[in-house]
Amino acid sequence: MKRVVSVGFVLMVAFTPVFAGGQGEAGADDGPLELTFWTSHTPPDSITLAAMVDAYNASQQAVRVEMVQVPGSETDVAQLMTAVRGGTGPDIYMLDRFTVAQRAAAGVLEDLTEVMEAVDPALPDAYIPYAWQETQFQGRTYALPFDTDARVLYYNRRMIAEAGIDPAILDSANGPITLEQAREIARAIDQTDADGNYTQVGFIPYDIQFSQGWHYTWGFNFGGRFADLDAGRVTPTDPGVVAGFEFVRDWAADMDPQRVQTFISTYAPPNTPTQQNAFLTERVAMKVSGDWVLKWLEQFTPDLDYGVTYIPVPTSGAQPSTWAGGWALVVPTGSDHVEEAFDFMRWFAGEPGQRMYTEGTAHLPTYAQLMNDDALFDGDHEFFRASLAFASSRPPLPVGALYWDALTRAFSSVTLQQEDPATVLQQVYDEVQPQLDQFLPLQ
Amino acid sequence: MGIIRGRNLRNGLLFVSPWIFGFIAFQVYPIFYSLRLSFTRYSGFGPPTPIGLDNFRRLFSDPLLWKAAYNTLYYTALAVPIGVVVAIVLALAMNQKVREVAVYRALLYVPSILPIFALSFVWVVFSNPRYGLLNHLSRLVGLPVIDWIGDPRWSKLSLVLLAQLGAGGPALIFLAGLRAIPTELFESAEIDGAGPIRRFFRITLPLITPVILYDIILGLSLGLQVFTQAYVIASTGPNTMVGPDNSLMFYVLYVYRNAFQFSQMGYASALVWVLFMVSLALALIVFRWAKSWVHYEIE
Amino acid sequence: MHTSSFTANRVSAKRYVTTGIVPRVILVLMCTLFALPFYWMIVTSLKGSTELTVFPPTLWPRDPVWRNYRDAVLFIPFLRFFMNSVILAAGATIGAVLSNSVIAYGFSRIPWKGRDILFYIAIATVFIPFPITLVALFDIFARLGWINTYLPLIVPAFFGNAFHMFLIRQFLMGISHDLSDAARIDGAGELMIFSRIILPLMKPALAVVAIFAAVNAWNDFLSPLIYLQTQELYPLSIGLQFFRAEHNIAFSLLMAASTLVVIPIIVLFIFFQRYFVEGITIGAIKG
Repeated sequence: MKRVVSVGFVLMVAFTPVFAGGQGEAGADDGPLELTFWTSHTPPDSITLAAMVDAYNASQQAVRVEMVQVPGSETDVAQLMTAVRGGTGPDIYMLDRFTVAQRAAAGVLEDLTEVMEAVDPALPDAYIPYAWQETQFQGRTYALPFDTDARVLYYNRRMIAEAGIDPAILDSANGPITLEQAREIARAIDQTDADGNYTQVGFIPYDIQFSQGWHYTWGFNFGGRFADLDAGRVTPTDPGVVAGFEFVRDWAADMDPQRVQTFISTYAPPNTPTQQNAFLTERVAMKVSGDWVLKWLEQFTPDLDYGVTYIPVPTSGAQPSTWAGGWALVVPTGSDHVEEAFDFMRWFAGEPGQRMYTEGTAHLPTYAQLMNDDALFDGDHEFFRASLAFASSRPPLPVGALYWDALTRAFSSVTLQQEDPATVLQQVYDEVQPQLDQFLPLQ
Repeated sequence: MGIIRGRNLRNGLLFVSPWIFGFIAFQVYPIFYSLRLSFTRYSGFGPPTPIGLDNFRRLFSDPLLWKAAYNTLYYTALAVPIGVVVAIVLALAMNQKVREVAVYRALLYVPSILPIFALSFVWVVFSNPRYGLLNHLSRLVGLPVIDWIGDPRWSKLSLVLLAQLGAGGPALIFLAGLRAIPTELFESAEIDGAGPIRRFFRITLPLITPVILYDIILGLSLGLQVFTQAYVIASTGPNTMVGPDNSLMFYVLYVYRNAFQFSQMGYASALVWVLFMVSLALALIVFRWAKSWVHYEIE
Repeated sequence: MHTSSFTANRVSAKRYVTTGIVPRVILVLMCTLFALPFYWMIVTSLKGSTELTVFPPTLWPRDPVWRNYRDAVLFIPFLRFFMNSVILAAGATIGAVLSNSVIAYGFSRIPWKGRDILFYIAIATVFIPFPITLVALFDIFARLGWINTYLPLIVPAFFGNAFHMFLIRQFLMGISHDLSDAARIDGAGELMIFSRIILPLMKPALAVVAIFAAVNAWNDFLSPLIYLQTQELYPLSIGLQFFRAEHNIAFSLLMAASTLVVIPIIVLFIFFQRYFVEGITIGAIKG
């Protein structure tokens, strides 16, 4: 026994460096300053990000940035929160831009206003205005805008033709089709097996598992407004938003919400890899999604015959809609190298970085000058660039992520449980508004 | 004598002092520390701001909290009785007098020590409506195909079924209980003409009631803290809900999100205190209720 | 004679059916039921990417892809995660063995006032859901600068665990006091009695505690999820979870990795079967 105990102590001593590991790396030597950059992006986008980091490191001698992929998603930043709280956070983090105000309010982000003004006071003008606005909280700058994106309708020509419909009617040159038309096409494509379960479907407008059929997509599509910034209110009960929710409820009812859910958990269960995306495996003929899917199609299913067009509109002749999101670069609280981090961010979110990213991932730049560079946009990518002209964006609220989550819940209870849109959206208001009240007036 | 008693007290306390220290540092202090935090707004960054009872008021207008509480109680209410019954059935089977019984015991027990984070992955694949074995077998025998994870009506039961893979642990405890029953009791009952079913309800069941109580209390505690399965199966990706229609949003998961995703440590502390009170209350109720049916004496 | 032997045979045959065949059939059925998910795990782990989406699913891989195992290990920093899990399990085990042996001695071999009350308090803590301390402990460990280290995962193991203490105490209560009383008369102190007499006798109970502590640490998910943020420190529980989310791991690789996670525990079980069973049963009944 004694032997076991003493072995135990030896092990303890041996592992002490491990126990204390990750506690900050001293850089007293003459090498370049080491900065850590965390992103929750996954391949294929993260591959381009890594190439950009390499390019930055090669461009100068003073700083070496190391990129680390961390778990997380758009609104899940638990790894960042816990690390920053523990004093082991990164120097730069890539954050979903519409949540910048909320994270700044929580105290997780460094205020970059002074650094920016010292380096380049004209920087705000270099970016698309809505993207810049999303980096602000109470009049201060907490981020630099990175990419943006737009949502369109992807359609599978083969599947539509096999259902006896000429896919040419979806051609974007003809303008948007109506939701009514979309419903007819979709019905013709739906197929079920002996159990009555779908084996292929035409279109699930509200799917968020393998497409981008979010509440914002349909709320904007029906002309809805999600917040009144001047009055400091969220407006989930806006008639347009309610109409968008009613539309998805009716669509779900028509398809049978539970059968749709079963389709999703069969062909797009939790943990599905990208190459098994239901549109890529040709289980679904139409989906709303963003520019990044262009690269997926190119990489995983180069033979798939698809097209992109406007998101179908409620009434014939209505203006098409879409919305733009995107990411931002921030410096988490506690970084000792805000200035060096900012220099990296300026490169990464500036002309050289965003150019590489646009080329590599088919996302859209927020760096205004790049939007005019025709060489960056070829083929279907051009359609996305043009879509930005009529794109909406989510209101930049200090409760952005909370609002998103509450809307997501309401959306699912409307589609899956067929609850009344006006009622659940009122609940969203009751839940979110008191949290927003803490930050009034909004600047 | 007094000297010995004093020395024993000193030595005794000295020997158990690591536990006393750990108990205070890792249990008592954090519980009261979170009570203090529950009256504040605290993001984890900067000092906590006192806000009185606001966090507790917010509990009532937080629809997701009620959903999480409902889901957790629903899960526990299913998992505890099903768990007890399955464990007893397993124990009865493990108690059969066949020569190679040790092999069966091992096979039934092993799943209970396997990591739930890995079993959860297995469950996703196993229960897939189309490609999973579970539904394939249902299809073969003509049972309806069920979307075990994707259907909010079934998803919680599905996790209860997953938890039954762990029934081998409690089953061994029941087995020990069964083997402690004197065989003469069965022999005399058999002479009196009692069949096996009657013998089970008249002799076996009453005599293992203490184990049942233990299992219920432990199951209650485990049910209220269910986390990993739901996290692994349903809490990833851009979809911020846990399971379809949040049907797998459990209480501790909600605490985790508030504390570590939304940086609302104050509100999370209030949530934790509610959980503490509810679990204490439930345990007391069960102990109370148990007085009427637990037999402690083996005559 | 002839007839009676015939009836006797019939009786014993009937007996054999009820006591020999029926229980076996039931047991085999139960074991099959419990084994099905694991069977499926292994089958899926050996399927190629096209066979994964064949309907109806194939019950045995047509062409087993053993490569999946190699890929799973290479694709994920599997060995690193594995070693981290081993380190965490070793730390927790050492802590559990050291602390609980001492504490259980104090709770069973020395008579002192208040001992039993304190012990019942300790036992009662088993039933408190651990996440109650989650938020506050994180905050406390953050103030200590322990985030993203193994300290919050290992240090608490050095301060006893109610269940483990209980196991050892039950065991020690069954050991006669003769030897220790004799030593006391010879003037030995408690520390001497503990280390020279009781500790060697305790070995079987300590083995049980060591095994349970190791398995629990191996299976732990929530604590590493909260306390560890860098990949180099992840144990398998977290590493597997995040790698699947970040790298589009196919189900076959995920199942291969899951199989590899499960195997060490099964091996441990095969070697220490006796202790698992003893641990559980000591725990329940004598209490």
